[in-house]
Amino acid sequence: MAGLELLSDQGYRVDGRRARELRKIQARMGVFAQADGSAYIEQGNTKALAVVYGPHEIRGSRSRALPDRALVNCQYSSATFSTGERKRRPHGDRKSCEMGLQLRQAFEAAVLTQLHPRSQIDIYVQVLQADGGIYAACVNVATLAVLDAGIPMRDFVCASSAGFVDGTALADLSHVEEAAGGPQLALALLPASGQIALLEMDARLHGDHLEQVLEAAAQAARDVHAVLDRVVRQHVREASVLLGD
Amino acid sequence: MLQKREKVLLLKTFQGRTLRIVREHYLRPSVPCNSPLCPQPASCHNDGKLLSSDVTHYMIPDWKVVQDYLEILEFPELKGIIFMQTACQAVQHQRGRRQYNKLRNLLKDARHDCVLFANEFQQCCYLPRERGESLEKWQSRSIYNAAVWYYHHCQDRMPIVMVTEDEEAIQQYGSETEGVFVISFKNYLDNFWPDLKAAHELCESIVQSRRERENESQESHGKEYPEHLPLEVLEAGIKSGRYIQGILNVNKHRAQIEAFVRLQGASTKDSGLVSDILIHGMKARNRSIHGDVVVVELLPKNEWKGRTTALGENDGDDKTSGESPGEPMPTGRVVGILQKNWRDYVVTFPSKEEVQSQGKNAQKILVTPWDYRIPKIRISTQQAEALQDFRVVVRIDSWESTSMYPNGHFVRVLGRIGDLEGEIATILVENSISVVPFSEAQMCEMPVNTPENPWKVSSQEEQERKDLRKTHLVFSIDPRGCEDVDDTLSVRALDNGNLELGVHIADVTHFVAPHSYIDIEARSRATTYYLADRRYDMLPSILSADVCSLLGGVDRYAVSVMWELDKTSYEIKKVWYGRTIIRSAYKLFYEAAQDLLDRNFSVVDDIPEFRDLDEKSRQTKLEELVWAIRKLTDIARHVRAKRDLCGALELEGVEVRIQLDEKKNIHDLIPKQPLEVHETVAECMILANHWVAKKIWESFPHQALLRRHPPPHQEFFSELRECAKAKGFFIDTRSNKTLADSLDNANDPNDPIVNRLLRSMATQAMSNALYFSTGSCAEEEFHHYGLALDKYTHFTSPIRRYSDVIVHRLLMAAISKDKKMEIKENLFSNKDLEELCKHINNRNRAAQHCQKQSTELFQCMYFKDKDPETEERCISDGVIYSIRTNGVLVFIPRFGIKGAAYLKNKDGLVISCGQDSHCEWKPGSLQRFQNKITSTTTGGESVTFHLFDHITVRIAVQASRCHADTIRLEIISNKPYMIPDTELFQQSSLLLKSDLVKEVTRSVEEAQLAQEVKVNVIEEDYQKYCQTKGRSLYTLLEEIRDLALLDVSNSYGI
Repeated sequence: MAGLELLSDQGYRVDGRRARELRKIQARMGVFAQADGSAYIEQGNTKALAVVYGPHEIRGSRSRALPDRALVNCQYSSATFSTGERKRRPHGDRKSCEMGLQLRQAFEAAVLTQLHPRSQIDIYVQVLQADGGIYAACVNVATLAVLDAGIPMRDFVCASSAGFVDGTALADLSHVEEAAGGPQLALALLPASGQIALLEMDARLHGDHLEQVLEAAAQAARDVHAVLDRVVRQHVREASVLLGD
Repeated sequence: MLQKREKVLLLKTFQGRTLRIVREHYLRPSVPCNSPLCPQPASCHNDGKLLSSDVTHYMIPDWKVVQDYLEILEFPELKGIIFMQTACQAVQHQRGRRQYNKLRNLLKDARHDCVLFANEFQQCCYLPRERGESLEKWQSRSIYNAAVWYYHHCQDRMPIVMVTEDEEAIQQYGSETEGVFVISFKNYLDNFWPDLKAAHELCESIVQSRRERENESQESHGKEYPEHLPLEVLEAGIKSGRYIQGILNVNKHRAQIEAFVRLQGASTKDSGLVSDILIHGMKARNRSIHGDVVVVELLPKNEWKGRTTALGENDGDDKTSGESPGEPMPTGRVVGILQKNWRDYVVTFPSKEEVQSQGKNAQKILVTPWDYRIPKIRISTQQAEALQDFRVVVRIDSWESTSMYPNGHFVRVLGRIGDLEGEIATILVENSISVVPFSEAQMCEMPVNTPENPWKVSSQEEQERKDLRKTHLVFSIDPRGCEDVDDTLSVRALDNGNLELGVHIADVTHFVAPHSYIDIEARSRATTYYLADRRYDMLPSILSADVCSLLGGVDRYAVSVMWELDKTSYEIKKVWYGRTIIRSAYKLFYEAAQDLLDRNFSVVDDIPEFRDLDEKSRQTKLEELVWAIRKLTDIARHVRAKRDLCGALELEGVEVRIQLDEKKNIHDLIPKQPLEVHETVAECMILANHWVAKKIWESFPHQALLRRHPPPHQEFFSELRECAKAKGFFIDTRSNKTLADSLDNANDPNDPIVNRLLRSMATQAMSNALYFSTGSCAEEEFHHYGLALDKYTHFTSPIRRYSDVIVHRLLMAAISKDKKMEIKENLFSNKDLEELCKHINNRNRAAQHCQKQSTELFQCMYFKDKDPETEERCISDGVIYSIRTNGVLVFIPRFGIKGAAYLKNKDGLVISCGQDSHCEWKPGSLQRFQNKITSTTTGGESVTFHLFDHITVRIAVQASRCHADTIRLEIISNKPYMIPDTELFQQSSLLLKSDLVKEVTRSVEEAQLAQEVKVNVIEEDYQKYCQTKGRSLYTLLEEIRDLALLDVSNSYGI
C-alpha cells in the first residue's frame, strides 16, 4: 500500500476538504451548572471540554499571589479513551504541562487580568477525543468557557493549526495529516486586532513558505472567530430569553 | 456547504491488534465533472481539462479493469474515459505507487481524453459501505452509482458504458438504468473497438500472464485451504452442538461445487436439522474427499444456498429431485476430518497435448480420476507419457493446506482405455472389490470330489443328522442350467392327516469352519459379484457348484426347516429346525414346474429324471411330484394372502419385487411372463427366512443377524405422487398396504409403461433393506416394510451370501442351546456382528453398483460402434419420466436405458418441432411447469413435453477419456417412434440385453482374434461358424445363462 496522498491532484484532502477549508465546528456554552463558566467544542472529530472557576482567592500557598493582576491557572488533561489506543495519561506529564503553559500564555494575553489583583482564574481543559488540532480546540473551548464565566477579555482568542504539503498550505490539520509528519504550525490569534497570542511550530520549514502557512493559519483562526462569535451570540440570546427579558 | 459524514475503519496496529478508527468524510454538492455537456459549468468549477465533445459514449472502467487493464486504457484511441475516484484509490491501495503514478500522469496528460471524477466527495454519488459488504462489492456499487449520477447530470445526453470484470455486477446492474450499460472489458473491446488489433492482443496477454501468476502463487505459497482444527476442538464442538458430524457425499453431476453431508448419529436430534447440509465449493469442502467422515460448521442463514436442479454436464438419472429449485438449505463448511476414506483410485493421465500445457514442472502431473466425485490428483512420475493410454491405479498420500490438489503416487496399471478387460477391472477397483483367485491354503481346506475319489456322506454325520433320503420327496426348482442349487423343497402328508412342509438349504457351514482361511476370504467378499458378462464367486466352485450344491440324485448335507401344517387351514402347528441329509429327487426348472402345475405333461420329456423310467413307475412318480407341487402352490398362496393382508408390497409385479432392494434399476427386469411357480418358491423361502429369524432372535436376542427394511420417508414419495397426478391417479403412500393397493390401481390401459415407471419410482423412494445385529436396534425397528413381516433374515442362499452363513451358524447354535448342549460355534458378539453387518451392507452396495456400471459399460460398447445417424437401432421410442429445468429424463423401454435429453443445448438454443414433428434447434426459451415443460422459440412456435409422453430419441455414446462413457439421448421427434407394439414389449428386454452382451463380447473377441492371427484362413472359417478360438460359443452362452441366473436367483432376495 502506497502512502496516503494528503492532497490529490484535484486539490482534495483525504477527508474531502480543499486546502483552506476547516472541519465542521460545533460548540456550546454553559454545559455545567456548578462551574462559573463551561463550554464544549467539536472540531471535526476532536472534542474538548473546558470549565472555568474564578476569579477567586488564591488557593494553596498565598505566596503565588500577584499584587497587580490575577493569576491564570491552566490545566490540561486528556481522557484515556481519547486516542486510537487506550492509554493512561497521568496528571503532570510533560505534554500536559507544556499544553497548560501554552494555554496560560495565550489567555494571559487576552484576559484583562489587572482588573482582579491577588486573585486566581482557573481554566481546566479536558480532551475527550483527539483527532488533530488539539491545541487549537483547547484554546477555542477555553475562550468560550471564559466568556461564559463573564471574565472580561480584550478579545476572543481563536486558534488554528496549519500544515504544508506539496507547496500548499493546509488549514486545520486532521490527525491523519498530522501523523504524516509534515511541518505543523499552531497559531492563537486575537482576531480583532490581528495580534498573535501564541505561535508554535516544532518542525523545519523553509522561511519562504512561512508567510504562506502563517497566512493560512491566520485566515483559519479568523474563520473560527466567525463561528465562535455566532455561538456566543446565540448563547446570549438564549440566556436572555430564559431570563424573561 | 460541506456535509460531514463519518467513516468507520478497522485498522491493524503493528502489534496485530485491530483498531476501530472513525474518520471524517466531507461531501460537497458539486465536484468538477469536466464534461462539456455539463448544464451548470460554473457551479461545477470545470476549470481543468474537459472531455472532448465528439465521442459517442463515455466509458467508465470498474476498479478491477483499471487495476488490470490500465495499459489498454492508455491507448490514445480510447476516448471519453471517466476514472472514478473509487477506482483510482483501489489502484493506489492495491497496486502500489508505480501504477498509481502512471494513472496520475495519464490524467494530467492533456492529450489523453480522460478525466477523474471525485465521486466519493460528491454528496449524491457517495455511498457508505454497508455492514458486511466486501470492499470489492462496495467499490463496484459506488462506481455504478456514480456512473448513473453522471449520466443524469449530463441530462441523459450521453450514453455511458461501465466496463467491469465482475460477472455479478454485469448481471445485477446490466439492465438497471437505461443509457448506462454494464459489460465486460472483453465485450467492450469487441463491440466498440473491433479494429483495434493491438488492444486485443494486449488484452489477451494480460489475461494470460495474470492466470500464470495466479497459478504460481498457488503452487509456491499462499494457503489454498484453511487448516483443520485439532481433534480435541472438534470433539468438544460436536458435543456442544457447535459442529456437526457427518459423511461427505459429493454430487456426481456437480462435483466441483456441490457436496452434501449426511448427518450421522446423535447430531441429528440435537441440531434439529432434517435435511443434509450443503457444502458449496471446493474451499468450503476443505480437502475432504467423497466418503470422508467430516465435521461441519453451519454458516449463518444469510449465506445459505440452494441446490441446482438443472441438468448438468454429465447428468444421468439422479435422485436429486423433490425439492423446489434453488430453495436455500442449511449450508456449512468443513472444519475438520475425523476419518479419511481414501481408497485406491483409478485415474487417467492427461494426453500428450494436455501435458505440454501444464507447464514447466513436467514431473508433477495432474491426473483425472475415473470417479467424477474425486478431485484431480497430483502424481510425480517420469513415465507419464508411457501411461497415457492406460487406466492406472493411484493412491492419495497427502493433501496439504497449501496445495490445490492432493498428492498421490502411482500403484499399478489396469489396462488400456476402452479395452473391455481394463474397463471391467476399473469398475472392480472403483468399487473396492478384489477378486484374486483362491489361494493354495484356502483350497486345501476344501473337500475333494473327483471321479476317482468321490465325496461321500460320512458315517459319523449320518448318526448326528436326520436322514430324509428315504422318507421325503425333495426337489428343487431353479432357473434352467443353474449350478449352485442352495435350496430344495419337500411336502408330504403325515400319518395324522396334517401336512409337513420342508425347506432344505445347502449346509455350507459344515464345510466352512469359522475363522478358517476360506471363511475369512468369504467374509471379506461377503457376496458373489455378478457383472454383466461374468461372476465372481464367494466360495470356490468345488463348494458352490458341487459339494454344497443340492443337485439331483446325490446325497447332500442340508439344514432344514420343517413345519407341520393343519391339513385344511394350513395353520402352522409345529416347527422343526435341524441338520439333515437329503437326496434331491428332481432338479426342476421353473417353466417345467409351471407346466406340471398346469397339468401340461408334454414337458415330462425334458426332465432328465423321468427319462430312464418305464411307463408305469413314471406315471406314479409323476403323480407324486405333481401333487407335491400343487400342494406347495396352495400353501404358498395361503401364506401370501396372509402377508398381503398386512400390506406386503408388490412393486412392478414379480420382477421388481425381486429387485426391490438388490437393485434399483428398472432395466434389469425380467419381462418374462411371471410364473406362479416363481412366487411359490419365493414364498416358501420367505417363510423359512421369517421362521429362522424368529428362532435365532429368541435364542440370541442381542446377537442375531436379521434384515430390516425401514419404512420410507414420506417426502421421497412427493415426486411419485406428482407424477401419478399428471396421469390422474392417486397414490396413497401412508402405509405399505395403501401404497400397494393404489399402485395396483394406477394402471393406464393404453400404456403399460406408466405403471412400470410408477412402480420403479416407488422403488426408488424406498430406503435400502439392511442387515443388522439385534443388539443394536430397538425391537420395533426390526420391521420389514416391503414384506410386511416383523422379523426377517437371510437364510436360504449360503452359497451366494455370507450373511446366510452367519445365520446358519446362529441357527445351529440355537438348536444346540435348546438341547442344553454346549455351544460349539463361536458366535460374534453384538459389537462385532454390527461391524460385520456394516461390512456386508457395504459390499452388497458395491455389488449393486458394480453390476449397474458393468451393464452400462456394455450398453455403451454396444452403441459405440453404431453410427447414430444411420443405424436404425439407435433410434427408439422413449418415455419422459421426469422434468428438469433444461431438459427431461427419458426411459427407453426397448433397451431398458434411462438417460437425460436436453431441450436447451450448449449454445442456448431450444428445441422446436416443426409440422412433420421433426425437431430442430432454434433460439428461444424454456418454461418449466409441474408436469410439463414448454419450449418456445423466438418465432413463436412452441412445443410442450408432458410427463409420460412418448417421444422419439436417438441414442448416441458420449465418449469420455477419463471417465466411463455415457449414453446420450437426443430428441428427434415429439411423436412416438412407433405405436408401442405389445409384441415387442412383451419380448424380453433380457433377451435384448443378453444379445447385447453377446454381441459386445463377441466383437471384443473378434478384435483379439484379428490381432492374434490375422492371416490364418482356417481361423476365418471358424469365425464364419461363430466358433472362436479361445472360448467356444458354448462358454459364451453359459455366461449369458449366468445372467439369467443372476436375475432369478435373486428372487428371494428381499
